[in-house]
Amino acid sequence: MGSKISNIEFVLAKKELDNNYFKDKFPDYDFEKFEKKVGIKKRYICEENESTLTLAVSAVNKLLKKTPFLRSEIDFIILCTQSPEFPLPTTACIVQEKCNLKTSIGALDINLGCSGYTYGISLAKGLIESGQSKKVLLVTSETYSKYINKDDLINQLIFGDAASATIIEYSKENKIGNSIFGTDGSGFDKLIVRNNFFNKQDNPEQKKYSGKNIYTDNNLFMDGSCVFNFTLERIPSLLNQVLQKNNLSDDDIDQYILHQANKFLLKNVIRKSNLDMSKLFFELENNGNTVSSSIPIALYSYLKDKKSRKLENILLAGFGVGLSWSGITIKI
Amino acid sequence: MNKIDYLKELHEELEIESIEFLTMDTNFKDLEEWDSMTAMVLIGFVNQNFNKNLNSDEIEKCETLADIINIKEIKLD
Repeated sequence: MGSKISNIEFVLAKKELDNNYFKDKFPDYDFEKFEKKVGIKKRYICEENESTLTLAVSAVNKLLKKTPFLRSEIDFIILCTQSPEFPLPTTACIVQEKCNLKTSIGALDINLGCSGYTYGISLAKGLIESGQSKKVLLVTSETYSKYINKDDLINQLIFGDAASATIIEYSKENKIGNSIFGTDGSGFDKLIVRNNFFNKQDNPEQKKYSGKNIYTDNNLFMDGSCVFNFTLERIPSLLNQVLQKNNLSDDDIDQYILHQANKFLLKNVIRKSNLDMSKLFFELENNGNTVSSSIPIALYSYLKDKKSRKLENILLAGFGVGLSWSGITIKI
Repeated sequence: MNKIDYLKELHEELEIESIEFLTMDTNFKDLEEWDSMTAMVLIGFVNQNFNKNLNSDEIEKCETLADIINIKEIKLD
């Protein structure tokens, strides 16, 4: 008895911003170097009328259009977001109605960022393998652009808004391996939106980081050097632990699909892990870092171009805000 | 890693073209190439080679390439 990933879809927000868009406002910045090192050329952010809910619904409807029979079969929704549509109710509940899914369905949101997709797969696997669910719809939807200050160049360059929808279902042959999880709450303030609806300030103090980037406590703040070091400290061992827990070696893995944070960082992670760099997948160039949607988007792109029908072992790993990390293997 | 390799490899990793070689006394933040991405590469270099976390506050405090070695208590051969 086991579970498998059977379908993936995603949507990007509508407003396309390439690096040139920022050049007038930030003339001193070396955009070519950014493109080369971090690996991002453009990203998509929400138009006025787009939100976490609209992106989530679009991704789910795109998936259901391909596979309409799933509409009556999905019996659980897990929706991962840190920019929920409302403080309450749960965004997953609204997705049930907007996507015409049945009412005999479980639905909940999980609040995680870049580690959310791998967590979500693992939770779905648990629901299925304990007999509580047969088909789980895992949705990731994030609109960080709404948190980012317009004078914060770095975060505007890095993050993009997107949503994904994945079906995890019962399978005779188990195609989802064992997970490793990790948490270090001491780094909670390294990637944070400090103020919420209770304490949002009308005239917040403007703060600066890394030169000229401006943010307030109402905005997203990321301590780039700390998050970078955290990743290099934790993720190489995470990858090796996931391999070990699944009795796999570097040779058994066909592709490493990590959270698409930053090209330079990902290369350093693989180098420090002593794993095969040629199996590291990149999908940042045209979308940026789409938080919990970055792994499903990368996985979708990888599978789209996959030539052979051979079953492959893929190691997925997400890491970031929390600080939180998790990794899992899948056969697909 | 010895002092010469440290300077040579940093010269290459940071893609320095404005001066021919780095010394321990080079004030790295005065280099033409210095920006937030050079800082990221420097952090990566220190982590990869010495297994130490260099953060942006420490970079702020450092002036020369010798300061990096001192602040992170790195032993070069």
